[in-house]
Amino acid sequence: MTERSLALERTESRFGWRLILPAIIIIGGLIIYPIGYNIFLSFFDVTLQGDRTYVGLTNYRSVLLDPAFWRSALTTLIYVVGTTIGTTLVGLGVALVMNRKFPLRGLVRGLILLPYIAPVISVVFAWQFIFDPVNGIFMHWTVEVLQIFKQRFNLIGNPQTAILVAILFNIWKNFPFTYLMILSKLQAINESYYEAADLDGASAWQKFRYVTLPELYFVLGAIVILRMIWNFNKFEEIFLLTDNVKVLSVYTYFKAFTGAMEQGTGASLALIQFLLLLGFILFYVKRVLKW
Amino acid sequence: MVVRKKGFFRSVGFALLVIVIVLFAVFPFVQMLSTSLKYQLDWGNPSLIPRKINLESYKELLSIGQGLRDVPESVQRVLDNPKLTAEQRKTILKKYQQTGDIFPFLKYFRNSLVLSAVSAFLALIVAVLGAYSFSRVRYRGRSLIQRGILFVYMFGGILILIPLYQLAVRAGLASTQTGTFITMIVLYMVQTLPVSLYMLGNYFRTIPFSIEEAAMIDGCSRFETIWRIIVPLSLPALATVFIYAFMIAWNEYLFASVFLKSYKNLYTLPIGLKALFVSKNAIWDRIMAASMLTAIPVVVLFMLIQKNLVGGLTAGGVKE
Repeated sequence: MTERSLALERTESRFGWRLILPAIIIIGGLIIYPIGYNIFLSFFDVTLQGDRTYVGLTNYRSVLLDPAFWRSALTTLIYVVGTTIGTTLVGLGVALVMNRKFPLRGLVRGLILLPYIAPVISVVFAWQFIFDPVNGIFMHWTVEVLQIFKQRFNLIGNPQTAILVAILFNIWKNFPFTYLMILSKLQAINESYYEAADLDGASAWQKFRYVTLPELYFVLGAIVILRMIWNFNKFEEIFLLTDNVKVLSVYTYFKAFTGAMEQGTGASLALIQFLLLLGFILFYVKRVLKW
Repeated sequence: MVVRKKGFFRSVGFALLVIVIVLFAVFPFVQMLSTSLKYQLDWGNPSLIPRKINLESYKELLSIGQGLRDVPESVQRVLDNPKLTAEQRKTILKKYQQTGDIFPFLKYFRNSLVLSAVSAFLALIVAVLGAYSFSRVRYRGRSLIQRGILFVYMFGGILILIPLYQLAVRAGLASTQTGTFITMIVLYMVQTLPVSLYMLGNYFRTIPFSIEEAAMIDGCSRFETIWRIIVPLSLPALATVFIYAFMIAWNEYLFASVFLKSYKNLYTLPIGLKALFVSKNAIWDRIMAASMLTAIPVVVLFMLIQKNLVGGLTAGGVKE
């Protein structure tokens, strides 16, 4: 009996491995192995054509001594913090609104998913047009109608202000994701908690603060961590909107594929970026979430 | 939610809030549509309704009625001559078509379509097997694999871009057009595989195991139950995952911009549009029309799967 069940277990396990094997080979060969190869390349001077010479730690030294790298790291930090807080808060607000019943709610829920599903490339130009100094509606409203600014200027063209637009764009593009995750949790909150709060005479704010928020604690924690990872690695949503916001991915891309095309330096930059992300996440998990 | 009698002002305030949210989400799309239909002299006009509707850019992108536009009348008269063979007519016409200036939208569209569909399909096949394995079969190392797939979520594209490009160069794949095309299919398949595995794994767990047991008692092998029971039962989920993987590939810019740089014939829509915008032909109405036409297939596909996808998105988060 035990022998037969052991044999069964073995066939079962062999069957499982055989099914997962193609996926493992593909992910291992084209994601895990390249990451190892990236570490290897970061110690070489590599040309775009593939020729390489060993240079030891030179790439790392040149990256870490370059003020442009530190500026870029700071830009990334501002971008990640701004977008993560922004998407989470907007998502929370929208989820609270959509959790109520109102006419045409189905249509509204469908419409507000559009930013998340539309291709980045097809929405960046509309955003550029909105902030265009000559034709854009933003300048029309802020300068001519509301008179907040004295004259029209190029908001996306200036590195200091472009990051604001990039953050706003990320919030716009990704709030549907946070909203959906929060909404599904909101709908799962037990109705009787609110009834009990009502009996105690709690105000709307108190119900939000002492019933809703604690229930959302874990989903909010998960959202923040996911958004931090994704926003840290963001490339397209920034690069296609403006090349003035040099977060680390964009900085690495420029280093490795434009100008002198320093692939080796690019490899070391990509690795440093990954290590920074790991550190960032560990800090968040240990200090903020206290897991 | 407890619904209580609300004051008039509160419901008006709430309605305003809903309107603001919808406007925030939809305004850039409205702007896109509006500008794509405007003539140049109308661009600075803050009103969203064009003074005069301009369909030229759509016609141009979809190459509708472009043939005879710039042909001088005298040549047209020659063309109308019935003695001309079709071939002769074509060679004459070719001289007058402004090939350098035309944005080959349809070609880029086809490239994007083929690349995304093939890679999403391949990813789906591998993912069905893999997801079945770690959601249904019991063996040691299973949870490690599952966690490993989640870990892949942490890697940004830029981390594997340089080494993959170097590997492709070393293997000689980057130097030919066919090699590059195959490389792109494989790359897109890899990028969509973790998500597909994850989403399908979650779905397979919801199918009762007893159905499979019944099939096995009837003599189905384990492998047959996948094709005969699991696949037919999860067709909606398979469609959802396919479309989601398709959308990832359709939207991808980073890898395409590096690998396809010197192969204009293989350009996908994202790099094609970016190139159009940078070039001197970048005219707002054209670029907006191209944006609309790029977004429409994705939005339509999304509408088809919305019910399934919204559940899938929230069930575990989906990689971007």
